Amino acid sequence: MTTTESLMGAPAPTPPVSGGIDARGVRRRFGSIEAIRGMDLAAHPGRVTALVGPNGAGKTTLLLILATLLVPDEGTVRIAGYDPVTQPDDVRARMGWSPDVFGLYEGLTSREYLEFFAAAYRLPTGERTARARELLALARLEEYADQPVHVLSRGQKQRLGLMRALVHRPEVLLLDEPAAGLDPRSRVELRELLRGLAADGAAVLVSSHVLSDLEELADDVVFVDHGHTVGHHSVSNLPRAVALRQWRLRSLDEAALVTALAGLGVAHSPPGPAGIDVQVGLDTEAAGLLAALVRADVPVVSFQPVGGALEQTFLELTGERS
Amino acid sequence: MTLDGVRTVARQEFMQRIRKGRWRWLLVAWFVILVVITVLVRLALREAGPEVAPYRGSVMYGGLMFLVLSLSLLVVPALAAQSINGDRERGVLATLQVTRLSAVEIALGKFAAAWGTTLIFLLLTAPLVAWCVVEGGVDAVSIAVVTVVMATLLATVCAVALALSAMLARSTTSSVLSYLSVFALTLGTLIAFGLATAMTQESVTRSYRHPVFYDEAHPPPLTGSPPELPPTPLRFEEGIYVETQSRTDRVWWLLAPNPFVVLADAAPYRPRCYDQAGWTAYQPLAPGEVPPRPQCDDSGIDPLGSIGRGVRGLRKPPDNYDESVRLREYSQQDQDQGRGAPLWPTGLAINLALGAGALVLATRRLRTPAHTLPRGQRVA
Repeated sequence: MTTTESLMGAPAPTPPVSGGIDARGVRRRFGSIEAIRGMDLAAHPGRVTALVGPNGAGKTTLLLILATLLVPDEGTVRIAGYDPVTQPDDVRARMGWSPDVFGLYEGLTSREYLEFFAAAYRLPTGERTARARELLALARLEEYADQPVHVLSRGQKQRLGLMRALVHRPEVLLLDEPAAGLDPRSRVELRELLRGLAADGAAVLVSSHVLSDLEELADDVVFVDHGHTVGHHSVSNLPRAVALRQWRLRSLDEAALVTALAGLGVAHSPPGPAGIDVQVGLDTEAAGLLAALVRADVPVVSFQPVGGALEQTFLELTGERS
Repeated sequence: MTLDGVRTVARQEFMQRIRKGRWRWLLVAWFVILVVITVLVRLALREAGPEVAPYRGSVMYGGLMFLVLSLSLLVVPALAAQSINGDRERGVLATLQVTRLSAVEIALGKFAAAWGTTLIFLLLTAPLVAWCVVEGGVDAVSIAVVTVVMATLLATVCAVALALSAMLARSTTSSVLSYLSVFALTLGTLIAFGLATAMTQESVTRSYRHPVFYDEAHPPPLTGSPPELPPTPLRFEEGIYVETQSRTDRVWWLLAPNPFVVLADAAPYRPRCYDQAGWTAYQPLAPGEVPPRPQCDDSGIDPLGSIGRGVRGLRKPPDNYDESVRLREYSQQDQDQGRGAPLWPTGLAINLALGAGALVLATRRLRTPAHTLPRGQRVA
């Protein structure tokens, strides 16, 4: 499946999956706090799935359960067809995980670090060196290969951590905030890398709150809030109800713009220094509104979307509950 | 569990340790302290008489081994007490737990690294041990036994510190508790034994029966020095008296796990011997020879042997002897039997059980997926 195809005509996720990630009715409580109270999630091989939710929604806890670190109180989970609770080793052989915050072994070099994890993932002795070299090249860290890891910048450490998760060529990849600390170029590279892994058949689950990144990266998106799954969509197919988007208008003649919007019956925010915001559904409606304003001789100098579609959806979905 | 997995963890852990700068200084400081103390002991023995000269080496060796054990007990908790929760605090433990390494491999690997580091400290004492051998009175069997027992005792401390670091969230807490457990093993056992001994005190009523050889009517002869006793006593004086005795034979096991006791008691006992030329070094028994040897006695001053002899006496039940019997039949044989059974097998067994239990606990705490998390502990 190529990137273009998956972005264009992807169907909404269907529940039963043999590979990838399938989690149903997952609950987990820590003492008196119920961190997850019924989450469902499906991530399919060959697709990048985004896990989106506000801080404290239960994203990290869910990832810990998927990563074989935490036993769920309730619910069933399958990673690449195996149960993380009863078959953790089978899962670990096929799953890579990178947490949002992690450390590196300060005394080791980048090469030793990757070779150590190659051994920890039980790669045959002969392959470890070659695999480490391959990953260092992929992370553009060859020149730091024999430097101790503490000389690396935050972004370089982040990339090295991602390479650790890829050491054993996992078919399921769980990444918690992988873009945190990355510069724009690294973000683009991360996106290309993950798209490439998905194109090779991996199921990639990415949690993030940098929604503009996810929009270009993900095929599917799972919205979570307060420990619940609140939406499960294909990015190309976000529903009309939640696809309302905010657009910002600026005109040379603000009064004329306000009058014209009132005449068209479009609700708008009070005029501010940045312009006037309106809520419009699909892109065709936005185009229609612009044409109508131009016809009404309003001198429009700028007409642009504010934030991404995911961000809007996210605010919409989480706004209902809080 | 695979050996390769254990080795992977141990090598990584070990490499990290040796690359930290302060570790080298620790080794240097360690060696310097040992050299200084050994030199001082040697100087103190300079004026000792000819009866000590053949044993100078064993006195130095015993002192050195006590010092090495004391210092090791201070160093080992620092080496092992942060190896798991320290990783957790640095956020590297969870990434290790999601690999295919099992909890047993991680626990054993970390244990092996801590223990291996401890053995490096022991290895550094080799030149000083060689010096003791040159001074005389130390043989290969003693060195082998003392080294193996010491390494085993330190393995226990490593395992306990590792278990504490697995169970407690904060590395400072586990360090403090590791030192407390060393304190419990050393001074704690001593205090417990002392208190328990006081509680075992009992009053016993004993009868006595003294032979009377002379009285006013039959005074001793004025000639003959020393006066010879008549073949039969005139009569016997009999009576009873009350004595308080401690039953250390009931509570000796409280002292048994003490590392110093185990080490001293396990060290092969070398009595002091003499021949026509004077005091000599102990000679191994000839084939078929049964101790005790008339030309050897117990009055040596080597620290390991003295403590070993002292603690074995604790296991001996009080002999409810008749004073009259003691007067006549107190012999070398009684003295040897009075030494009592050794404590070290029990002590070493307690230590081994403690260490094994600690490793099991550490493994359990590392097992994932986890059901519970300690308070305030983040998984990642």
